Amino acid sequence: MVNTIRHYFSVAACFARLAVQRQLEYPLFLFSWLLMIPIQYFSGIWMLKIIVDRFQPLNGWDFPELAFLYGLGLLSHGILVVLFINTWHIDNMVIQGAFDRLLLRPMNVFFQLIASYVNFIGLIDLIPGLIIFIYGCQLVGFEWTLGNIIKLLLVLLGGVLIRASLFISLGTIAFWTKRNASMVGFTLSMLERGTMYPLSIYPYVLQVIFTFIIPIGFISFYPAAEFLGKGSESFQLPLNFALATPAVGLVCFMLSQWIFRRGMKSYESAGS
Amino acid sequence: MLQAYWYITKMRLITSLTYRFEVFASVGTNLILMLASVFLWKAAYGNGTEQVQALTLQDLTTYTILSIMLASVFVCDVQDTIYSKIREGQIVTDFYRPIPLLACYLADDIGGMLSSMVNKVIPLFIFAALFFGVPWPASPLSFLLFIPSCLLSYAILWLLSALIGLIAFWVMELGNMGMVKDSIVRVLSGSIVPLWFFPESIQTISKFLPFQYTYQTPLGIYIGNIGVREGLMAMGIQLIWVVLLYVLLAAGWRRSKSKTLIQGG
Amino acid sequence: MEAVIEVNDLVKEYIIVQKENGLRGALKGLLFPKKKTVRGVDGISFSIAQGEIVGYIGPNGAGKSTTIKMLTGILHPTSGTIKVCGISPQADRKSVVRKLGVVFGQRTQLYWDLRLGESFELLRRIYQIDNSVFEENMAVLTDVLKLEEFIHTPVRQLSLGQRMRGDIAAAMLHSPSILFLDEPTIGLDADAKHAIRHFIKEINRKRGVTVILTTHDLDDVEQLCSRLVVVNHGKVVEDGPMVSLVHKLAPHRLLVVELQQPFHDLEHPSAEIIKQDGLKIWYQFEKSRISAAQLISELSQKLPIQDLSVKEPDIEDAIREVYKTT
Repeated sequence: MVNTIRHYFSVAACFARLAVQRQLEYPLFLFSWLLMIPIQYFSGIWMLKIIVDRFQPLNGWDFPELAFLYGLGLLSHGILVVLFINTWHIDNMVIQGAFDRLLLRPMNVFFQLIASYVNFIGLIDLIPGLIIFIYGCQLVGFEWTLGNIIKLLLVLLGGVLIRASLFISLGTIAFWTKRNASMVGFTLSMLERGTMYPLSIYPYVLQVIFTFIIPIGFISFYPAAEFLGKGSESFQLPLNFALATPAVGLVCFMLSQWIFRRGMKSYESAGS
Repeated sequence: MLQAYWYITKMRLITSLTYRFEVFASVGTNLILMLASVFLWKAAYGNGTEQVQALTLQDLTTYTILSIMLASVFVCDVQDTIYSKIREGQIVTDFYRPIPLLACYLADDIGGMLSSMVNKVIPLFIFAALFFGVPWPASPLSFLLFIPSCLLSYAILWLLSALIGLIAFWVMELGNMGMVKDSIVRVLSGSIVPLWFFPESIQTISKFLPFQYTYQTPLGIYIGNIGVREGLMAMGIQLIWVVLLYVLLAAGWRRSKSKTLIQGG
Repeated sequence: MEAVIEVNDLVKEYIIVQKENGLRGALKGLLFPKKKTVRGVDGISFSIAQGEIVGYIGPNGAGKSTTIKMLTGILHPTSGTIKVCGISPQADRKSVVRKLGVVFGQRTQLYWDLRLGESFELLRRIYQIDNSVFEENMAVLTDVLKLEEFIHTPVRQLSLGQRMRGDIAAAMLHSPSILFLDEPTIGLDADAKHAIRHFIKEINRKRGVTVILTTHDLDDVEQLCSRLVVVNHGKVVEDGPMVSLVHKLAPHRLLVVELQQPFHDLEHPSAEIIKQDGLKIWYQFEKSRISAAQLISELSQKLPIQDLSVKEPDIEDAIREVYKTT
């Protein structure tokens, strides 16, 4: 057991080192990312500010609260992009035979899939995330108590797991269809719109879907509502949302592992 | 000659139609963006706000729906096409072809546009009509002006994309410069939040940039926020931008071409 | 010798989507895709002993790659059984793949942007290769495959031949007892082909590595394989030692005669004229019916022969026969 862990750890470390080296081979890619990500997210929060300034708070969420929510959502997105980005490319791996190679090695396939590309460029996504979140915390007067910090970390963990589960399940589709790049785009925009605006602006049906079927409400909206002491007038769960997030995350993650294994079985029986 | 271009357009149309899964996903993506934006406006207008800056909720709903439909019609893959041809070293042989390359790439993108009209815009329009009612134009006249304005918008966007593609000739890599451009366009074109709501200073600067003439101009004409006279004037500015960007592209293209042919890619 | 690979009645079916031509076809496919079940591998059985070099050959689409993928545990068969070193690769993938080295000629497992040595370092960790074993293997591989000239070069800058040598080395680092090579010499120049064939012979001779090779290059087959398994349409059509296979499939020999002057009565009862070009005549005859010596002496009695040569059938003729008949 200890040996197995040491084995996996040493492989993960080597994968990570190689991933950094590979990413440094393409400086313009790095540079363009460094330009694009801040533009995208700072403009996103700026447009929310414009709307709130010209109109009114969105369903009772004023700008400081919106910034807190937006930042919280962006943080778990950033972590996902660093750790789980290979789940976006399963279709390519299947088509180009890279997935076959994973099956030819005496290690867990899912581990290889995730560990083989730690996306350090994704740390760039975390920069605007951190800035906007801390700015939001300042505006709403977030109290940095030990309890709140632990809660926050648990929420982030849960949020990352929920996002990862979604992309793992989606990536699995590639085992059947051989293509899913556009599904990734679809899910990314769904996650963006579902986690960075208050869920309560959407119709009741969508809120139910985003709570029980694709539980992305737990990534940022419910925890933020809990942290900020906001009651949602349209739809409410009688739970401690901030603590529900890691639980929901774990359940989703286990489910996604099951789906992934099903997908691999299908791949093995279908071939490419 | 035209037949050759039509062939390229048709091939692209056929290949685009084959990827059915992609089409569903793309419609779904745009639908989500549409729903999210419209509900955002609904929340902003909540509690009986009637008009903000002379715009009603209905105006902005129409604006948003049309904006998303335009975004899926305006296919500008030219930057990626140029990049991949350079990376594969195919661009040199392509230069020796008897027909102008950029025109081929345009024909290809037009094929993408036509297929998008069939398999993306129609479903999006139906969904939008079901959820929010048919997004009618302000008047028949504004619709008549909307169409040519859209063509000019597309010309601007396509030329911008081709200009970005030129970067690949000089650094042999493109990274995500296309996406950088897209994220700037998204904000400054008013495609999500019209620039009319932006601070005055930004609005002033934006008048001297090409971006607002890509989305805000045709959309403003469509919802009647830009009148006939102003509309015609805005289209004049669009035309100026098209000419300007075209001259820039032609010059840049010629230089890139001679550089590539001398160095052999 | 004990069998290291045993395959019994292997079947693999898959579903393909049929596409139609033209704009109408594209629109139709968008709404109603047509599906069809195809048998890629249709009841294949064979067993391979330790230390054999087996050529697994057949035309494109005959089911070669699919079989290799099943033997290596990537794909699961629709029916039939596989045992590699007594273990089913489907039941215990990790144990089986430790013993396998796999090279896909058209797909590299090396990191494109990194120096060749970096990929080896990763494999050392993945296969948990002991330092002493790793160094010993590296020394041997470097020597036989001449890796030292490019081990510090990024893989994307390697020539195809260098890359292939790197890929083969990568597959051999963990001392596998079975090596699968899928088109290892495709697109390579003569030198690189030679180096790779030499390497395969070496590891087979020195380490007793069993080699399964798919190829379209019949020189590979001729120089390396003691045994051939020929597949077509998903079925094994021939299986046996190369010499007897050639003999069985291409029993004809060719006698090429060049005359001094034109002559009328060229016929011979035991040989068939298959080609005539000016003064040159090609006689085809069966070894079992008449010996070359006898045919030559009989022909030389009546024909004004200037020059002659006997051509033995080669593997190429044999393979052509297989593809023709099935």
